[in-house]
Amino acid sequence: MWAMIVKEFRQLRRDRRTLAMMIVLPVLMLVIFGYAARFNVSSIPTVVVGPDARPVAGALPTPFHVVEVDPTAGRSLAQSRLRDGKDVVAVVTGPGGTLVLLDGTQLFSVQTVRATMARDAPPGAGGSQAVAVQILYNPNLTTSWVMVPGLAGLILVFIGTLITSLGVVRERQAGTLEQLAVMPLRPWDVIVGKIAPYLIVAAVDLVGIVVVGMVLFHVPFVGNLGTFALGAALFLLVTLGMGVLVSTVSQNQGQAIQLALMLMMPQVLLSGLIFPVASMAPGVRWLAYVFPLTYFTEISRGVMLKGTPIGALWQPLGLLAVLAVVVLGTAVLRFRRDLAPGARRHRAPDGPGPALPA
Amino acid sequence: MRFGDFTAVDAVDLALEAREVVGLLGANGAGKTTLIRLLLGLVRPTAGDVELFGAPPSVETRRRVGYVPQTLGLYEDLTVAENWAFVTVAFGSGRPPLPAGIVDLGDAVVGSLPLGIQRRVAFAAAFSHRPELLILDEPTSGVAPLGRARLWQDVRETAEGGAGVLVTTHNMEEAEQCDRLVVLVDGAVAAAGGVAEVIGDRTVIEVGGPQWRLAYEVLDAQGLSVQLHGDTLRVPGSAAQIEDLLAPSGLDVTVGEAPANLEEAFVEVVSARSARRDGTAVRP
Repeated sequence: MWAMIVKEFRQLRRDRRTLAMMIVLPVLMLVIFGYAARFNVSSIPTVVVGPDARPVAGALPTPFHVVEVDPTAGRSLAQSRLRDGKDVVAVVTGPGGTLVLLDGTQLFSVQTVRATMARDAPPGAGGSQAVAVQILYNPNLTTSWVMVPGLAGLILVFIGTLITSLGVVRERQAGTLEQLAVMPLRPWDVIVGKIAPYLIVAAVDLVGIVVVGMVLFHVPFVGNLGTFALGAALFLLVTLGMGVLVSTVSQNQGQAIQLALMLMMPQVLLSGLIFPVASMAPGVRWLAYVFPLTYFTEISRGVMLKGTPIGALWQPLGLLAVLAVVVLGTAVLRFRRDLAPGARRHRAPDGPGPALPA
Repeated sequence: MRFGDFTAVDAVDLALEAREVVGLLGANGAGKTTLIRLLLGLVRPTAGDVELFGAPPSVETRRRVGYVPQTLGLYEDLTVAENWAFVTVAFGSGRPPLPAGIVDLGDAVVGSLPLGIQRRVAFAAAFSHRPELLILDEPTSGVAPLGRARLWQDVRETAEGGAGVLVTTHNMEEAEQCDRLVVLVDGAVAAAGGVAEVIGDRTVIEVGGPQWRLAYEVLDAQGLSVQLHGDTLRVPGSAAQIEDLLAPSGLDVTVGEAPANLEEAFVEVVSARSARRDGTAVRP
């Protein structure tokens, strides 16, 4: 038994990736997720409109963060800003009283607002006017409504990153990638032929998830299908790129699974799917902005629940497009080198000697 | 082609005629697989150029080549027919029917077949587009004797059909089935020609007689490469050298000269080349 234990430790010592996963990763995750896992929201973007906008805005306590005050505007502007994701709270002042509009897709923010209003003087309570509260887009604050659009993205990450990387690595391990390289196929034929089936499967999966979400959980789909499709397509390209990228740096399926999980786990907790991005510590928040799921969650929630138009989603769509170009481009270049070798590191297949750039 | 300080392939010129089976012979690490990978364009040379059919490896040259790697390159989770369909379409050969030798295996999943059959399928797939050059990397590795015989029958029929066949092997019995041999040592051609030409006038010393077992111990203790054929020992060197080594023991043995076989010639070629590289004298 002792010999077995020693042997196992020796193997572990040489398997750097597993060792990193066992020692470094838990510590890293603890630190990162410790700063990310916060339900309390300290700053809530707020717009105040109507004749009394200025005094009301001045009287709003923390965590209301007034980003826009427009005494000439009314409810329509306030509601469009909520729809476009610019604000979470809109305070509409007027002679008949004050109306507080809340974006129901931001569960934790709404709960924070409610708690604040119950504890402190409610917005507009400087006078004797009544304050009405209306929750938009998710009036009952149903958790599944908020989760389903984000979970759809998470499932696409699973298929795009893990399944794709396994598919490519399996080809490499079996030696069939080399066979593809000697066939009269252009590298692009192989790359597109390899990725396209996963793209199609993931797209079908996405449709299935959304339909099941609508039927089973009554999640609404009030926005434009084309905008949603565009966001999903860009997001899929990024996740597929991540999958191919993982496969190009993995020698076997075990390594691919390890790496894919390292990419998937942080996205679950840092993308805003569970914890609001705004409440994360600044040192961790930037990680959220690196992951594509953050942007897809914003798009899918916006389109499905609020009907956010494409113009208001240019930022997440644009950033997804940039990520798609960078990630998929890098992945394709690396994969292409496997198929049409250039200046990459080779190891003698039937002889000793260290690798050298060819 | 270099990997660090290690030269895997160095200035190799290889000519293959149609209908010819050429054996690329070499020990592990001699550069056989690297040479093939260079020819196929799977790796690029660290210096110099590689030409196949008079041009650098490209999509066009690949159309004229069939290749069976050691790993076979088949999709084990697909059936024989599905593998065949993929390869034939990829090479633009249309949808030809499965060849006679494997036609009954169409529905069999490749991974469920014995290795010998898998190699036959890989061989058929590599030849599906009727290439001018067929490259086989250790084609009979791990295959039972009957399977080996069938594979060599396929190789011979392919050559007779007009293709040139390049086979890497370190199996001497198989090497003897080739029309011509190219012996690679340290990435360079150390000998080339038919079996008789590679052997040349090389000889070995045969040691026989009632005390051959004791003679074996003496010669083996001297670090010589001693082979046992029946009750006769075969060792490299000259009769005088062997007699000198055995004399102190006073054994009752006979010492005589005999023509070397291919394996013995190969060992001598490799030893001589390695000795030249290391700057040492060749041991008898």
